[in-house]
Amino acid sequence: MRWPRSLALRLALAAGLWVAAGLGAAAWFVADIAVHQVEAAFDGRLAALLDAAVAVAATDADGGIVLSRAPAGADFERPFSGAYWQVTAPDGSVKTSRSLWDQVLPAAATGHDGVLLRDASGPRGEMLRVAERDLLLPGASAPAHVAVGLSRMETEAEIARLRRTLLVTFAVLGLGLVGGVVATVVAGLAPLRRVRRALVEVREGRRAAFEIDAPSEIAPLVAELDALVAANRATVERARSHVGNLAHALKTPLAVLRNALDGAAPDLPVARGEAAALERLVHHHLARARTAALASAAAGAVPMEAATQVARALRRLFAERHLAIEVGGDAALRVRLDPQDLTEMLGNLMENACTWARSRITVSVAAAGREVIIAVSDDGPGLPDGDRDAALGRGVRLDEAVPGSGLGLAIVADLAALHGGRLDLGRAADGGLRAVLHLPGQAMTVGA
Amino acid sequence: MRVLVVEDHVALARQVADALRDAGFVADQAADGEEGHFLGDTEPYDAVVLDLGLPVLDGLTVLRRWRAAGRDMPVLILTARDGWTEKVAGLNAGADDYLAKPFVMAELVARVQALVRRAHGRSRPEIALGRLVVDTAAQRVLLDGAGVKLTGLEYRLLAYLALHAGQVVSKTELTEHLYAQDFDRDSNTLEVVVGRLRRKLGDGFIETIRGQGYRLSAG
Repeated sequence: MRWPRSLALRLALAAGLWVAAGLGAAAWFVADIAVHQVEAAFDGRLAALLDAAVAVAATDADGGIVLSRAPAGADFERPFSGAYWQVTAPDGSVKTSRSLWDQVLPAAATGHDGVLLRDASGPRGEMLRVAERDLLLPGASAPAHVAVGLSRMETEAEIARLRRTLLVTFAVLGLGLVGGVVATVVAGLAPLRRVRRALVEVREGRRAAFEIDAPSEIAPLVAELDALVAANRATVERARSHVGNLAHALKTPLAVLRNALDGAAPDLPVARGEAAALERLVHHHLARARTAALASAAAGAVPMEAATQVARALRRLFAERHLAIEVGGDAALRVRLDPQDLTEMLGNLMENACTWARSRITVSVAAAGREVIIAVSDDGPGLPDGDRDAALGRGVRLDEAVPGSGLGLAIVADLAALHGGRLDLGRAADGGLRAVLHLPGQAMTVGA
Repeated sequence: MRVLVVEDHVALARQVADALRDAGFVADQAADGEEGHFLGDTEPYDAVVLDLGLPVLDGLTVLRRWRAAGRDMPVLILTARDGWTEKVAGLNAGADDYLAKPFVMAELVARVQALVRRAHGRSRPEIALGRLVVDTAAQRVLLDGAGVKLTGLEYRLLAYLALHAGQVVSKTELTEHLYAQDFDRDSNTLEVVVGRLRRKLGDGFIETIRGQGYRLSAG
């Protein structure tokens, strides 16, 4: 069976099934007990009638058995009234109440102790309950047999009425319970509807944030939605400010370029210089735009995987220098950022290391608390202490003789900061540069 | 040295091809991935300049198909997307170097030259053969330290033989590597050029191996 998609319907259905089963069982039990009591009361009355009949039974002058007067408590006189008595003498002669008219009660068994209760068929075929017993009268040689019968018609009607009443009562109770559940569910889900309305308003720009006073179960959801909206807004803001910066940064050199080329004698060295500046700017801003676009999509990446891929590519790129590029560490560690960003950082760091290394670069991946530490070391000349900060400055190239845009380390530092990490530059054991990335790690591992 | 330039931007393709021709290469051009793949698959190029964003068949696929078919000429990829993810994808698909657009033409030429040298197991641009030095970067030939004036075809032939110094190079191979694809090829021209080179350099450098081809040695 497929559950309906509506939560309210699901809960109502589940509650309805449970209530129906529970109330059904309860109704059955209650009816059983009530019917028992009615039956017991009926049998009690019958036994009392039998006692009354026995009390007035006596031996007449002929030794036969008579009832000295009509037993009290029921209409034994009106024919087929539904109340009957019958006395059978030891010799087999039968005396009956007037109500039996010309009929007799079905033959009763004799020779047992105490009162016998049984169901029988009455003079008109009606259901009859019969109570009977043997009776040894003073002076008699053998016991006589006294039987009293009562029609069950009224009792049956009473039981049917009882069952009907119970059924109606429990049905009403059940409906009331299900209705109560539905009302509870609808009321309980109301905050979700409020959240949805608020979401629509946020999307349409009619309100800035949710700021709903939600119940504690939904409050975290609302808080997350608020955070998402805020993050989105921050991304848009960042993009907007980038566009502004970009426009400003590009238009100035463009103006210079244009002026240099206009006029009778174009100033080619200036034009060339501005074109180079423009190229650097475009490169830088595209890199920034990429980082901004990817910052929110933190999918999680595996440093060992990325480093191995980059190492493979660099071995090809620096094939003729026969560099030993070693990647080692915990292959199960993950960092909480986009795989493309990680590859970008590792690519820049490892290419830089390859450019300067004499023969060997090493990449190590290790965990430190909740951080993942990626260290890229080379055995090249390294950087003097004073130059390390400058190397992280934008567009600064510490050696103009080696090709590169001079943005590599700055991009890595920007990216790391954007993801809540950082880049440290230090000295490797054999004098080269040691670049250490601290990145926020993930508790989960690759296999899990 | 024959180079294939696969680039769909007409002006850029022409600029690249012209720059490579100026540097002593013979350059063929292809404007889409399919044509580029076909040429690279059937012609013996010494290097390929391959754009990644190509119509019909993208550059990465072209490269993968070449490598899968055992074509191992050096390939320099050109790409506007200069993220490391793209670089790693290109290099791991079998490229030997990459250059991000925009680039300086001199750098492209230098890199293609370096790739060709690397493919022949040489790390320095100068090839020294006794008294003869062929500088493949500067396109200069020195004999006893003095420059020798050579025509474009003479230089190309000598440079190709120098890269394969000590090996016998057949006339067919020379023709395939010295002329563009649709050039009218005449093997008699080669003999004439070799004759002129011998006159300029002196005997002993270029040997004729009868029925097989030519061999350049230190003399």
